[in-house]
Amino acid sequence: MSPMPGEPATTATIRVDIAADLNDEDETGFVWTYLADAHDPSLIRPGGVVIAGESDTPAVCEVIDLVEEPSGTIVHLRLLPGMIEDYGALVRRAGILA
Amino acid sequence: MGDFRDRIEQRGRLRDETVPHVVVLRGGPDTVAKIVRHAHRTEQRWALDGMPLVGVSVFCALDPEGPASISGLLADRMRSYLVVHRVPAAKLRAAGFELLPTGGRPHYTVRMMCGDEAGAAKLLAVLGPPRENRHHESYAR
Repeated sequence: MSPMPGEPATTATIRVDIAADLNDEDETGFVWTYLADAHDPSLIRPGGVVIAGESDTPAVCEVIDLVEEPSGTIVHLRLLPGMIEDYGALVRRAGILA
Repeated sequence: MGDFRDRIEQRGRLRDETVPHVVVLRGGPDTVAKIVRHAHRTEQRWALDGMPLVGVSVFCALDPEGPASISGLLADRMRSYLVVHRVPAAKLRAAGFELLPTGGRPHYTVRMMCGDEAGAAKLLAVLGPPRENRHHESYAR
């Protein structure tokens, strides 16, 4: 059942792939965070689709690039349209998952 | 955390822009713990005048319409947030917070004097309770 507008689609705790403040933008215009904040850094590759943000404010994002800086590896993210549940529904429609 | 030389100095990168009487937006809901975490991330990467820059990201509604307007920001950059904090820039300044034009327009960093729980609690009090974002993705269904 779809959530009502303005309601979270799920009350379950969501584990994000990479923690980020989705308000954070740098001069690239993309959201940025540190690779060190990834649950599994091997998932964070350019072109990959990940769940980023905080557990109560997650969003689906595309990994744009990884940039080495003296303070650590920066990950740039692009916010993708739709909610996480929309992507789950897409996968189910395609018959990929039961 | 690396030393000061690891951070990117922001002074020369700040946009030449003054903040008029605008509304400041930050996707929420914020908590003291979140603000501490996010301020720490900024502090880890950026410096200002040779010192760690402690602060969190916000967007200023600089234009009456378009991508940098209130509705433009809520419908685009902040569309993944069910709720957002909205506060007049003047209220932040009156509380001692500096607004730095970092990154690309209309992104700003609210500079905090201290990134600990007390500093975060002070900022959270000024940001006020979050309000519903009527431009959230769920309204597009």
